[in-house]
Amino acid sequence: MIRLTVNGQAHELDVPSYRTLLDCLRYDLGLTGSKEGCGVGVCGACTVLLDGKMISSCIALAVFADGREVTTVEGLAEDERLHPVQQAFMDAGGFQCGICTPGQVVAAKALLDAIPHPSEAEIKEWMLGNLCRCTGYYKIVESIQAAAGQARA
Amino acid sequence: MAHRIVGQRFGRLDGADKVTGAARYSADVTLPGMVWGKALRSPLPHARIVRVDASRARALPGVLAVLTAADVPDLLVGRRMFDMPLLARDRVRFVGEKVAVVAALDPDVAEEALAFIEVEYDELPAVFDPADAIQPGAPLVHENPGAYHGAPAERPHANVQSVLRFKLGDVDAGFREADRVFEHTFRTQLAHHGYIEPHAGVIALDEDERVQVWASNKMPYRLKELLSHALELPPARIRVNLTPIGGDFGGKGSLMDLPLAYHLARVTRRPVKMVMRYTEELMAGNPRHPSVVTMRTGVTKDGRIVARRATALYNSGAYAAFKPAPSVNLGGTSMGAGVYRIPHLLLEGFCVYTNTIPCGHARSPGEPQMLFAEESHMDMIAKELGLDPVELRRRNLLRDGDALANGHHLEHVRATETLDAALAASDWAKPKPRGVGRGVAMGHRHIGVGFTNAQVRLETKGTVTLTIGLPDTGTGAHLVLRQVVAEVLGLSIDEVQIELATTDLFETDSGVGGSRVTHTGGRAAFHAAEKLKEQIHAEATKLGTPDASFATIAQAAAREGRTLEAVHFYDAKSHAAVTSFTAQVAEVAVDPATGQVTVLRFTTAHDVGTIINPLGHQGQIEGGLIQGLGFALMEELQTAEGRISTLSLGDFKLPTIRDIPPLTTVIVEDAVGPGPFRAKAIGEGSISPVAPAIANAVADACGVRIVDLPITAEKVYFALQDRKGRS
Amino acid sequence: MIAFDYRAPRSLDETLAILQEYGDEARVIAGGTALVTMMRQRLAQPACVVSVRGVAGLGRIEATNGSIRIGALVTHREAECSPLIQERLPVLAETFRRVGTIRIRHMATVGGALAHADPNQDPPVTLMALDAGVEVQRAGGGRELPVAEFFRDYYESALEPGELVTAVTVPLLPAATGASYVKFLPRTADDYATVAVAATVTLEPDGEHCREARIALGSVATTPLRERAAEALLSGARLGERLLKAAGSAAKTAVDPLDDHRGSAAYKREMTAVMVERALTQAWAEARRAARASG
Repeated sequence: MIRLTVNGQAHELDVPSYRTLLDCLRYDLGLTGSKEGCGVGVCGACTVLLDGKMISSCIALAVFADGREVTTVEGLAEDERLHPVQQAFMDAGGFQCGICTPGQVVAAKALLDAIPHPSEAEIKEWMLGNLCRCTGYYKIVESIQAAAGQARA
Repeated sequence: MAHRIVGQRFGRLDGADKVTGAARYSADVTLPGMVWGKALRSPLPHARIVRVDASRARALPGVLAVLTAADVPDLLVGRRMFDMPLLARDRVRFVGEKVAVVAALDPDVAEEALAFIEVEYDELPAVFDPADAIQPGAPLVHENPGAYHGAPAERPHANVQSVLRFKLGDVDAGFREADRVFEHTFRTQLAHHGYIEPHAGVIALDEDERVQVWASNKMPYRLKELLSHALELPPARIRVNLTPIGGDFGGKGSLMDLPLAYHLARVTRRPVKMVMRYTEELMAGNPRHPSVVTMRTGVTKDGRIVARRATALYNSGAYAAFKPAPSVNLGGTSMGAGVYRIPHLLLEGFCVYTNTIPCGHARSPGEPQMLFAEESHMDMIAKELGLDPVELRRRNLLRDGDALANGHHLEHVRATETLDAALAASDWAKPKPRGVGRGVAMGHRHIGVGFTNAQVRLETKGTVTLTIGLPDTGTGAHLVLRQVVAEVLGLSIDEVQIELATTDLFETDSGVGGSRVTHTGGRAAFHAAEKLKEQIHAEATKLGTPDASFATIAQAAAREGRTLEAVHFYDAKSHAAVTSFTAQVAEVAVDPATGQVTVLRFTTAHDVGTIINPLGHQGQIEGGLIQGLGFALMEELQTAEGRISTLSLGDFKLPTIRDIPPLTTVIVEDAVGPGPFRAKAIGEGSISPVAPAIANAVADACGVRIVDLPITAEKVYFALQDRKGRS
Repeated sequence: MIAFDYRAPRSLDETLAILQEYGDEARVIAGGTALVTMMRQRLAQPACVVSVRGVAGLGRIEATNGSIRIGALVTHREAECSPLIQERLPVLAETFRRVGTIRIRHMATVGGALAHADPNQDPPVTLMALDAGVEVQRAGGGRELPVAEFFRDYYESALEPGELVTAVTVPLLPAATGASYVKFLPRTADDYATVAVAATVTLEPDGEHCREARIALGSVATTPLRERAAEALLSGARLGERLLKAAGSAAKTAVDPLDDHRGSAAYKREMTAVMVERALTQAWAEARRAARASG
C-alpha cells in the first residue's frame, strides 16, 4: 500500500512492486496526461514534479513516490484558468502534435518557479531533456519567454 | 486581396486539451475490461520457424490468450503491395518481425509472458545490402513477389519490389552533347521519424459486433478499407474513431498492430490495447529508407547541364507493405533533377528487398535522400569546373514553362528569387573567418493532392460547425480550416467550431499526408462554406430581411424543421502547375582537431502562396528544418548484420533544444497556389535541402567532402586526416 | 518488469541486515535511474529491491578537514547546486552539471553513480582525478577505498554482495592547483561522452613547473581510467603547449575503447589525445589563476 498526493489530492493505492510511477498515474489513477515516449528517461514526455522537482516518471517506481507529492500536467491549471505557461504555449505555437507538451509545460512551470526570468541559455539548459519532434524548439523557447514576461506583468 | 481572418496569426486556439493533458491519444483510450496485447519478435534476420510452443505462456496467471500464425488467417496485408503476414508464418524475414502475440490483464504480465513462448528457428542465409540483394544468386527474401496483390509488373530481380522511372529527352544523346561528365555516389542512413508517440491502438467489439478502432493513424478511411481486407469483414462493420496523433511525419499510415489487436479482442471478448515500446518502434517501425544514389551529369564548358542520370537503390527491408504510393516506390526519386532544367534526364529508383527492417514513408519520402546526393553533386561539379556553386545553379535553374522530371510544365517559377532571398539574408558574399564555411542547397516540392470532405452546419446560435474526417496530426490544419470557413462566411474564428467525424459519416477521404490538407481540406471547406453562404442568403431573402443575423436565419429554418448545412467533396486529381521552392544557406564551423561541425547560423527561404496562419506556417518550416538538421548530423539507426543496435532514444539521438542554430526565415510570397485563397503547401518544404547545405558548408570550411550521412565529427576528422596524409 | 520484494528500511543497520540476508539476490535502489531502466530492459531482474532513499544520514554534504564528504544519497542536482561544492570544488559541481538532464540529476545519486560502475558516467572520472575515496559499509564493518580502485570491469565495481556505498570523500585542491572536466559531445547536447577527461595540475612555487598532475578518462575503456603514464610526463616538468600535447599522445596509447554509437575505438583513441590536451590546458590556466590569487 502506498500513499501519494497527486495534484493536491491524497490517494492510497495497492500497486505491484514493479509498477512505474507513470503507469500508476495513467492506469491506476486515470491521469493520462503524462505520456510514455522513450521509456528510458530521455524524452521527457513523462515529466512530473515530485515534491516540486521534475523527474522522469517512466523510470521511477510508484513505490519510490510513497508519501510524496506529485504534480502532473493535470494539476497546473487552477479553476479552469490555464497556468501562464500553458497559455503561452498556445499563444506562441509551443506545440504541434502535443504528445511532448504535458512534459514540456510541467518542466517549463518548474523552470519559472525556480528562475522567474530565465535567459535563453537558462531555458535551453533546463529544457534540454524534453524532446520535441514537431516544433524544432524555436517556439518552445518563445513560449517560455512569453510566459516569463506575463508573470512579470 | 485583403482578408479578414486568412493571414492572421492565430495561436493554437485548438490546443487547450493538449496543454492541460486532457487530449486523449490512442494510448490514452481506456475501456472497461480492457486488456493488453504485446508481440514477440524475431531475434533473427532470416530463419525458418521450426516450432512454436506457447503452452507455458498460456498457462501464466493473468494471460488470456496467446496467438501464433496458426491462430490467425493466412492472409497478407499492406498499403499498396500486400506482402506482409499478420504474424510470421513458417519464416521470419527481419529482426523484429512479429511471431506471436499475447493478451494479458496487465502490460507487464503480457511482456513477461513473451519470454515463456518457445520458438525454434532454423537460420537461413540472409542479405542486408541492396547492392548485394540484386546480384544473381542472392538469397531471396520472397520467392515470388510478382504474385503479391498490388505488386508492380516490372521486376528485374526477384529482390526488387518496384522500379520508379522518370525520363525526359534522350539521356544517351544528351551525354554525347556534354563537354564534361561527372559521376559521384552518395549514401544516406536508416532513420526513424522520431515521433515521440509510439504506435498505439485500441480495438473493441461493440454490442452490435462492430469493430471500434482508436489508432494513431492519419488516414482513417484508408485504414477502414485496409482493416476490412485484413479482418475479412465488410467496411460497414468497422468504425475508426479519430484521436489526435502524437507525431506522424509520414510514419502513421499503416495497420501496424491493429489486426492482431482485433484477433486478441475476438478471442478474449475484451477490448485490447496495443502500444509499441519505443524499442519496438526503432526495430520494427517503418523508418526512412537508406539509400545509395549515383549521380551522373553531363555539362557543357560553360556550365549548362545537358544530361543527367541518377540511380537510387533504396534498402526497403523485408516487406513492401508500408509504402502507400501506387508505384510502391519513393516519389522523391524525381528530385534527382533538383531544381534545374535538364533536357535529357533519366532518374530511376529501385526499392530492394533485404532481411532488414521494412521501410515506409517519411516526411518528403525519398527527397532528403535524393537532394543530399543531387545538391552535393552540384557543388562538386562546380568545384571541378572552377565555377562558383551559386553561379552553376543560376545557369541551370528552372524557368517558367520548363518541364519537371514527371513531365509537368511549371508556371510562376520563383527559383531565382528564392535563391537570391536566401543569399541576401545569409550574408553569402561577406568574408568569413578561417574554419568557417557556407553552403547553399535548394529544393522544391509539389502541392499535395487528394480528396477530402467538409461539412458545414449553421447552428441556431449563429455559429458554424465544420465537420471533417481528418485527424489532428499537430500541423494546425484544423485551425487553418476554421479560418477558411470564417473568412468565407464573415465570422470570427471563435464562431467556427470543428467537429471530428468517425468513418461512419463520409464515403471516403484521403486523410492527412503529402502536404495536402491545406489544399484539399481547405478547398473542401471553402466550397462547403460557399454553398452554405448561398443557402443563408436564400433564406434571408425568403425571410425578407437580407441583413438578418445568422442566428435568426438558423432559428427560422429550425422552426420549419430544417438545418442549413452543406457538404463538399473536393478531389484534386492532378498536380498544380506551381511548386514551392526552397533555398537554404548553412554557415558552419569545423573544429580541425576533432572534426566537430557546429552550425553557426541557418537561413531558409521559401516561395509560398497565401499564408493562412503565419504562426502555423512558420512552425512547419522550423520543425521540418530541425528534422533535416538531425538527419544531416546525428540521426542514424546503426545496423550490423540486420540488427539495429541503437534501440533507444538514448542511442538514436534526435536534436535537443540546445542543438538548434540561430535561424533566419525569408518568405518569398507569390499568391498563386491551388489551395484556398491561393495557398500552397509548407509541411515538407524545409527538411530536404538541410543536409546538402551543411555538407556543402563543411566542404567550404575545411575542404573535405562527406558523401554519406550523417555528417559525424568522426567522418570529418578522418577525412581531414586523409587529406593531411595525402598532401 | 516482474514482481520483486520491495524493502524500504529507515536505518543503515536495517539496510545492511537486509543486504546481508539477500546477498546477490538484492539490488539497492536510490534514485533508480539506472536500475529501473535496466529492469525495464530485462538487463536486471533482482528478487529483492532495497530502497535506501529513506535511510537517515546519507544525504549530507559536509566539509571535513581538508575534504568534502558527500553522502551517497545526495542527488547529482544537489551536488551541482551545493554552495559548498561550488565554492571549494567548482570542477566537481561542473561535472555533476554535465550529467544528462536536470530531470535525471534530480533522481540520480552520488552513491548510485559509483555503484552502477558505468564507464560512460561523468562523476567517477572527476572523482578519480580528485583522488576521492569511497566509503563502503556492510553488516559488522566498513572500509574505504580510493575511487581509482573501485571500478573493476564493465558495470562491475569492487562492491561485494551485502555492501553499500555510503559516502564519497573528496580532498580539496592543494594550493596553486587547477582542475578541469572536458566532456566531448559531438552529436547532441544530451548524450554520454564520446571521450571525457578530468585533469588537475599543481604548480611549483616558481609558477612554471608542474609539481603534480592527475588525469582520469571516461568512455574509453571498460572502466574509468587513471592515466599515470601521461601524469608522469608532466610531474616535475616545465609546462608548455608541446608538453601538454605529448601528454595527450601518451594517454592515447593507454586507452582501450569500445566501438559504439558515440564513435569507433579508433576515433575515441584520437580524441583522447585531443581532450587530454584540452583538459590539461584548462587545468593549467586554472592553476596559474589559483597561484596568482594565493600569491
